[in-house]
Amino acid sequence: MFNFDWLSGVSQETAKMIFLSLYGLIGVLVLLLPTEYVYEGIAKEDRHWYNNLKLWSICVLAILASIYYSF
Amino acid sequence: MLAGIDYFIVIAYIIGMLLLGLYFKKYVNSSEDYFLGGKSLPFWAIGMSIVVSDIGALDFVGVSGQAYRYGVSVGNFDWVGSVPAMLLAAFIFIPYFWRGGMYTIPEYLGRRYNQKVRTIASVTWILFFALDLGVLFWASAVLLNVLMGWPIWISIISTAGVVGLYTYFGGITAVIMTDVVQFIIMFIGGFALVFLSLYEVGGWDNMVEKISTMGPEYRNHFDIIQPQDTKSPFPWTGILFGLTFVMANAYMIGNQSIVQRCLTAKNEWHAKASMIFGSALKMFIPILVLFPGLMAVVVHPGLLDGDQALPMMIKSILPPGLVGLMFAAFFAGLMSSVDSLLNSTATLFTKDIYEPFIKKGADDKHYLKVGQITTLVLLVVGVATSPISSDFPGIYVAIQTFMSYFQGPIFAILLLGIFWRRTTEWGGLSALVIGIGFAIYLNVFKEQFFTIEDPFLYISWWSFLLSFIINMTVSLLTKKHSDEQLQGLVFSSKILVKNKTV
Repeated sequence: MFNFDWLSGVSQETAKMIFLSLYGLIGVLVLLLPTEYVYEGIAKEDRHWYNNLKLWSICVLAILASIYYSF
Repeated sequence: MLAGIDYFIVIAYIIGMLLLGLYFKKYVNSSEDYFLGGKSLPFWAIGMSIVVSDIGALDFVGVSGQAYRYGVSVGNFDWVGSVPAMLLAAFIFIPYFWRGGMYTIPEYLGRRYNQKVRTIASVTWILFFALDLGVLFWASAVLLNVLMGWPIWISIISTAGVVGLYTYFGGITAVIMTDVVQFIIMFIGGFALVFLSLYEVGGWDNMVEKISTMGPEYRNHFDIIQPQDTKSPFPWTGILFGLTFVMANAYMIGNQSIVQRCLTAKNEWHAKASMIFGSALKMFIPILVLFPGLMAVVVHPGLLDGDQALPMMIKSILPPGLVGLMFAAFFAGLMSSVDSLLNSTATLFTKDIYEPFIKKGADDKHYLKVGQITTLVLLVVGVATSPISSDFPGIYVAIQTFMSYFQGPIFAILLLGIFWRRTTEWGGLSALVIGIGFAIYLNVFKEQFFTIEDPFLYISWWSFLLSFIINMTVSLLTKKHSDEQLQGLVFSSKILVKNKTV
């Protein structure tokens, strides 16, 4: 049990899909955050699209998922 | 050994760091300035500082060595380990810590659970950081000794002198701003090595082709996912359960030297952005540390010690000038780790031990002085204990391993503390103590329980799980905390829409 023998039937390809799904899940959770929350700390009149931390996070996740997929 | 131009680069780098660090002395007028940079720092500086502190020179050598032995699966530590954890930290944990005006992670644990949990967590971190300090001083001295020819003790004292001076006077602002320069140097040196090594091996495709034909032991070298039954320390099950679910989160959310940087941010947006920016930069770390190790398989096949891969590549690939820059990059990694340990340990001691137990209610200047004196004492302790490394060569790995056993239980109590209102002080305390005990037990008898080479990922998962279950069970059997006690300490969906509720 400590060695996760019960997962020995899972192929490397399936395992890779699990990790890629994890990126997807995190991306969805980030998108669900209220926009107001990700701008918190910046005055309303100074908010721009490039301050949107959801956008930052999605970019990072997308690049990472591509790198991961390519290996 | 270094050429003349290399000496010039290294010495210019050391003097430059000292002067830059001392420049920030003028911004330190209170304990908040010293420990939290007056809450005035921008996200980009903090993000760079997080990354450069995370990847020290010893990791540079060690990860390249692991890439030499095990291949690209080492990249999981940054590509799937750190990034999701940093996003979780950015959007959930950091805003709580920042809004709560906290200085330390144990301070949160103290408010959420009790003083005992705070003290255990703090003392463990202090011991770990203090031990690590001596190891890092020794590693710096060995580098200076080998490359510059300086005697070991002169090397130790000069490293301690430079880093100690700017950390003592400039506090965390000096630490973070020198980290920015150290980050830039590390990236320039690292990428120079990667590009020149790629040229040497005839490009990426050529390298893959050569390694793939080197024999069956290299069959999985380019598989980022290692099978569950691999003998390497990185089976996908360990990466998913041990690294992604536990260790990476514990490191990015529960490590004082990482989180303290985010608490210096000028506002909540900068605090969150610093972690996300850091996660973007972390994507490049495997390229810097993993690729040279892979390329060494082609350039220097058959090395008995994988940790020789990076030094051998530097020696054989880089021209004069770039060797000095790469050495400065190494030294930057070491200095960054040392200054982080000094400032974080001083913060932990002053805020979690000195203020509650030794002198409560003193004026702010007093705590500032205590923080500075603690920094000096730590320097002396670090210098005095550094020769231990020469007597016990495996001590760095031993300290890191010890710390990995602490990570599972600490993350379990942090996670339940912030997400489950029903968690009680006794649940947290018992989970911490029993979880650490269980991790030590699994480590001592690891041959009986595990089939892989170094099962630290599995141990962190199982100790996390046990701590999680114990915390829940004991909490349900003990008296729950009142709403007033939990005010601002437990996650509520209201935080997402109504800032003032926390």
